[in-house]
Amino acid sequence: MPVECQPHGARKTNTRLMLLNILTFAGRLHPLIVHLPIGFLLLALLFDVLGYTRRYAHLRSAVPLTLLAGFVAAVLACVFGWILSATGDYDTATLGRHKTAGIILAVIAGLLLLFTTSWFKKQYVVGPRLFSVLLVGLMGLMSYAGHQGGNLTHGNDYLNLAILTQVQRQKPTSVEAAFIYEDVVQPMLIQKCGQCHQPGKLKGKLSVQSLALLLKGGKTGPAVVPGKPDESELYKRITMDPGHEKFMPADGKPPLVKREVEIIRWWIEKGMAVEGKKLAELKGNATIQPQVAAYLGLGGAGAEEGVAGIEQHNNPEIPASLDMGLVENLRKKGLIVRVMLQHPVMLDVTLPAGSGARMADIKDDLARVGKNIIWLNLSDNGLTEGDLAVLEGMSNLEKLRLEKNPIADGISDHLLALKHLTAVNLNETKISALCVNKLGENPGIKRVYTWKTAVPQNAD
Amino acid sequence: MHDHDDIFKLHTPDFDQLNKKWDRRTFLTQTSLGLGALAMGSLFGKELFGSTPKAAAGASGLEADILKALPHFAPKAKRVVYLFMSGGPSQFETFDYKPGLAKMMGQGLPDSVRQGQRLTGMSANQSILPIAPSAFKFAQYGKSQTWVSELLPHTAQVVDDLCIVKSLFSEQINHDPAITFFQTGNQLPGRPSIGSWISYGLGSDNKNLPTFIVLVSKNGQKDQPLYARLWGNGFLPSKHQGVQFRAGKDPVLYLNDPDGYDGKDRKEMLDYLTKLNQLQNSAYGDPEVEARIAQYEMAYRMQTAVPEVMDIANEPDEIFDMYGPDSRDPGTYAANCILARKLLEKDVKFVQLYHQGWDQHGNLPNAITQQCKATDQATAALIKDLKRRGLLEDTLVVWGGEFGRTVYSQGKLTATDYGRDHHPRCFTMWMAGAGVKAGLSYGETDDFSYNILKDPVHVHDFQATLLYLMGIDHERLTYKFQGRRFRLTDVAGKVVNGILA
Repeated sequence: MPVECQPHGARKTNTRLMLLNILTFAGRLHPLIVHLPIGFLLLALLFDVLGYTRRYAHLRSAVPLTLLAGFVAAVLACVFGWILSATGDYDTATLGRHKTAGIILAVIAGLLLLFTTSWFKKQYVVGPRLFSVLLVGLMGLMSYAGHQGGNLTHGNDYLNLAILTQVQRQKPTSVEAAFIYEDVVQPMLIQKCGQCHQPGKLKGKLSVQSLALLLKGGKTGPAVVPGKPDESELYKRITMDPGHEKFMPADGKPPLVKREVEIIRWWIEKGMAVEGKKLAELKGNATIQPQVAAYLGLGGAGAEEGVAGIEQHNNPEIPASLDMGLVENLRKKGLIVRVMLQHPVMLDVTLPAGSGARMADIKDDLARVGKNIIWLNLSDNGLTEGDLAVLEGMSNLEKLRLEKNPIADGISDHLLALKHLTAVNLNETKISALCVNKLGENPGIKRVYTWKTAVPQNAD
Repeated sequence: MHDHDDIFKLHTPDFDQLNKKWDRRTFLTQTSLGLGALAMGSLFGKELFGSTPKAAAGASGLEADILKALPHFAPKAKRVVYLFMSGGPSQFETFDYKPGLAKMMGQGLPDSVRQGQRLTGMSANQSILPIAPSAFKFAQYGKSQTWVSELLPHTAQVVDDLCIVKSLFSEQINHDPAITFFQTGNQLPGRPSIGSWISYGLGSDNKNLPTFIVLVSKNGQKDQPLYARLWGNGFLPSKHQGVQFRAGKDPVLYLNDPDGYDGKDRKEMLDYLTKLNQLQNSAYGDPEVEARIAQYEMAYRMQTAVPEVMDIANEPDEIFDMYGPDSRDPGTYAANCILARKLLEKDVKFVQLYHQGWDQHGNLPNAITQQCKATDQATAALIKDLKRRGLLEDTLVVWGGEFGRTVYSQGKLTATDYGRDHHPRCFTMWMAGAGVKAGLSYGETDDFSYNILKDPVHVHDFQATLLYLMGIDHERLTYKFQGRRFRLTDVAGKVVNGILA
């Protein structure tokens, strides 16, 4: 792996950077410190309640000290929380509730502490039961403040009752079976836009969480107008010049890629912005299938997204995915495996010359990845055609190198059914013209190399 | 034998210095802040932490993401051999046949052709820019009926395997910026060479040899210098730099064991040295230390691999006959072509040959005849040899210089003698092998080979195409350095679709 290139003196610069950011850093200590008052105050309640039993009656005398610790910690948590709120980008409503609850909590903790002092006890009387009730109330307030804080960090929908009934969506297994909105558009929008346009943040008063909310839209009107992408605010915003101040996503957040934009356009225009429909149920879905397949990582026929104007058409029969453990097995046995492409998985496999490997030991491993092998080099390994029946399973093989092996004419039988094979290197083998003629029966094979064999060479 | 497995307990002044290296500030940053940051990270989750300056944590992750996405396309080529004709070979005497010029010999270049475009200081003050037709005859060869000059009789025999691009153009008019532009995508020194980018992006297929090997002919006229930075790694980690093999019998020095040493404990010595280097590395965190460790280990593995590859004495006579008489003389272009073939057979990913001496400002007919003699046969032999071995299937061969030459004569034009100045607006290169159309002539120049009429190919387009053939999207192979992401083709470049097979 290449190492990161850091200019000399980088360490010093970093140090200064971090020290300047001390406020940010201190603010981020808030979530750490905030758990101290929670613990102390809970402990105070525990001691207080246990104090009613005979066995633990002595614990009641520890309540004031525990409360003191809880109070100090609560004040500290407030201070650090305030620093954090100044540096972070939070939903103001939730933040306000959290802040108020937190400060009240600290004040009440202080008041309760006051109730336990001898000075206070001289003037007023707070009965032990009332004190306990107040402590329990404090716990309620603490839970509320804590929940608001959690919402700030994890989002409003992180902990709610709906989780209990929520069902995880199954990943669709084919393009046709994919729900255009639920499996494709919705997750795409939530991923790329959800950070700002969610119920907790609602930038521009828009949420992309559901279709209904998209149709309702935000400040500038409906985000999606079924059938009319060019009137849909959402489509306009994601397709305008990226330098434009209204371009979305804003602030240099990762924009939608070409294929995602195409899918959204198709969904609005041809799909009439529906939900609950499988791709196969919609008219004219063939035009968008490659993009959807590529988005869902279903591979196969999908053309690779690349530089403008370049599209590679890969053989659709190559399996889209492969257990990379199988590749590792080959590598462990000394073969060199180069991944030519990841979607679909195309492999270039080389058995190093003179490896001494026996075909019997590796043929099963080769067969397991056979349909993914596109280029294969087994040259100079003392192989005969009898070792090579495994080739017949490599139906997607395009280039095969077998030179410098004691291979005879029988090799052609293994290669006749390989319809993607274009080039076979049989240099320095024991083949004759018979083999070349036989290979002619496979119309796919364009080039057979027969240098230093008994095959007559062209005089060119 | 010594046993060096003990933990280091060294108390030399140098090491004590290292041990005390933690000053107060470092200590505070790395312990409290470091641990705190770690704790924060787990408490906050990624989203919030993402809003900090990414300088510290981002770069290595970014790089991993870039490399993980590779290859972007199914590659057509597995290896490249780039025959760099340094100095700027004339297109008029090689591939760009302009028969109409004969009638105009000696006439001044029409302003309508030049259109006020800049000239170099060497010919800008000439009172006349006299048109100089090629002194050499052209004929058509092969099934493709491609015009080739009589100076290249051997190349003419393999012309059906070549994809000749006549419409290359560059932005640079002088040697060093032009060659730097070609090799690194920028006219100013400091960026990584093409081979380094490929090494960085795709890694090695043979760990016993460098991924990027450079051979400079000893028999080229050294009129324009070559610098090691042309195959340098720029800001990429230095293990990606091109390794130059010497032109001569002993291409890599000191690979043989010195007298009185059997080399048996060298591995042990290197392991120990690696430990020392790692100690240094953990203290300073300089990636160059890691590069150095890797280089020592590479050198060790090369001790067995190199003599085997570089020994051409065992090649049959037929090979020497094919590559020409020079090929028996190590270090010549022809001998380097044989070496290149052997390196490619070993799956070395990027082999670059340089042959100097194409800068013919004067005495062109004589000089270019010598240049062609020194390179033509071996170049054609390399194509033939790779082809019959089946290696042209997945090897890309590239031939070309940094720019072309002017239609007018620099200095005096006589019936038998003339010179040509630098001309970056159009020139000819060819490619052959994996992924390019064989027997194709691409692009067209005007009757004066001064301007491009059809299908211009910029240097960045050429580079983008080369990377594409190796399976790389030139826009996505980037490296972040000094706050900016760099790539070979800078901010330009388009893959040349028309030459792809």
